[in-house]
Amino acid sequence: METDIAWQKELERRARIYDDIEAGGRWEGVMTTLDYAGMAVFTVVLIVGFWIWGA
Amino acid sequence: MTDHVTHGGFAAIETEREEAAHNRAAAERGDAPLLPSERLWGFWEFTYANSALAIATWAFLIGGAIGLFVGPKEGIAAIVIGNIVGVALTALATTPLSGRYGIEQFVALRSQFGYNGSRVVYLLAVVVLTMGWLAVLAMMFGRSIDGLAALSAGEAANPTGIKMIIAAVGAILVTWFIVAKGPTSIKFFNMVVSPALVILMIVMLYLILQHRSFAELLEMPALAPPFEDSTLNFIIAVEVNLAAGFSWWPYIGNLARLTKNERTAFWPNIVGIFGAAVLGEIVGLLAAVALGDSDPTIWMTKIAGPAIGIIALLFVAFANMTSMANILYTSIVGLRQVGTASIRAISWGMILFLFCVIPLGLVVFYPQMYDGFFIFLVWTSALNSALAGIGIADYFFLRGQKLDMRSLHAPQESGPYRFWGGFNPIGLAALAVGFGVYVLVFNPQTLASLPAFKYLTASVPSCLAAGVVHYLLTRLFARGAGWGNYPGR
Repeated sequence: METDIAWQKELERRARIYDDIEAGGRWEGVMTTLDYAGMAVFTVVLIVGFWIWGA
Repeated sequence: MTDHVTHGGFAAIETEREEAAHNRAAAERGDAPLLPSERLWGFWEFTYANSALAIATWAFLIGGAIGLFVGPKEGIAAIVIGNIVGVALTALATTPLSGRYGIEQFVALRSQFGYNGSRVVYLLAVVVLTMGWLAVLAMMFGRSIDGLAALSAGEAANPTGIKMIIAAVGAILVTWFIVAKGPTSIKFFNMVVSPALVILMIVMLYLILQHRSFAELLEMPALAPPFEDSTLNFIIAVEVNLAAGFSWWPYIGNLARLTKNERTAFWPNIVGIFGAAVLGEIVGLLAAVALGDSDPTIWMTKIAGPAIGIIALLFVAFANMTSMANILYTSIVGLRQVGTASIRAISWGMILFLFCVIPLGLVVFYPQMYDGFFIFLVWTSALNSALAGIGIADYFFLRGQKLDMRSLHAPQESGPYRFWGGFNPIGLAALAVGFGVYVLVFNPQTLASLPAFKYLTASVPSCLAAGVVHYLLTRLFARGAGWGNYPGR
């Protein structure tokens, strides 16, 4: 029982740390629109390029 | 008195340290989210780790299977196109949320399928996939040993004979023993085997190019194209690679949670998993087409001659065991999160052994599975592509990239992710729709397909259909039913 309470406290502590990061907007290394757009462009270039070359 | 205080102070510090270490270990096992300060992998560490997973012997198998459908030029195009789409969508569905919150993948899945629904998904996507791969890789080990014995004795190999079966059973049992010892032994194998596999691939590529020039190879035909329509054969090759890309769905989320942030969780998959898998598959494809056999345990001896062939086969045999140890370990760690209390009560060694029983049965009673392994792989994509679509729709479009850490880790019976008896009927219906769309568009067993398959593949419509159904039904019904803690518009 004591272990359960201690563990719930630990979970609460961890959740609170994430709440603070969220509230302060302190996420590091966030994927931005640029990342998603870059990935989309890279994927499309590979698909079109290899389709033309190989198919 | 001072001594007592000092001793008391040290004891308190020691207890605090022990408690912190215990909590961190529990978080590493997935019982709690890992904090940013606890995560160790940067970009290159994660790239190295997922390359180690991707540079495995299955890449040779998949590459060889592609050679059955199309020639090398179309095959290379299919490998690149299929893998980039599959890996990108799978990474989008699983890694940004793991990288942001350090959350265990199947705990996060409670927000999409409910706490019991996530168990069903684990059973379907992880257990079936891992058991199948364990059997296939064990048979590849067995075939390598059989090939070795035949080479040494100067006899013909018998890839479905008793020697193969005994060696394959042995491989599963040794893997069980290694994993039962814990993750340290697996890490050691990874450190040795992954770089050595890269060297093996380069040596094999060099030997292939000694037989034929690259230009000659590109002009060679497919080994056994199933249809006269070359576009259809090409799309089937793309589909097999989409399946290979989507097949990372059960594994990469839990690796990505060890990275420092979203970017380091996402991008290394494109460098590591995509790059490494493409390299291995291309070697397998070129070798298969150049030597007329898609089975790496056969083409390796043909290409390298008896001396290097023996070394290559021996190496491939043990590399298979490393792959087997990795997927077995990951699956059983996940099982702890989704399992009931009675499953968690089973000892680590025993639960590992029980997990190995079905692969053992497949090896002994259904060794033919090896030759049709790509059919098995494509079946898994019917699930994994739909899971990726649901994951993207749920995390990005319905939750605005926000997860509730408290509710996901708290007791579930009274929490917001209980949905309907622990199952989210919407997520499960979307999964069924995605699976249904896949099988309707392309039947992996018979290779029968609708005309649309040639333009859309099967995995992409399955992924889209599952995502759209999940999004629309959630918007229409979930808020009214008070399900899932979705934010208001």
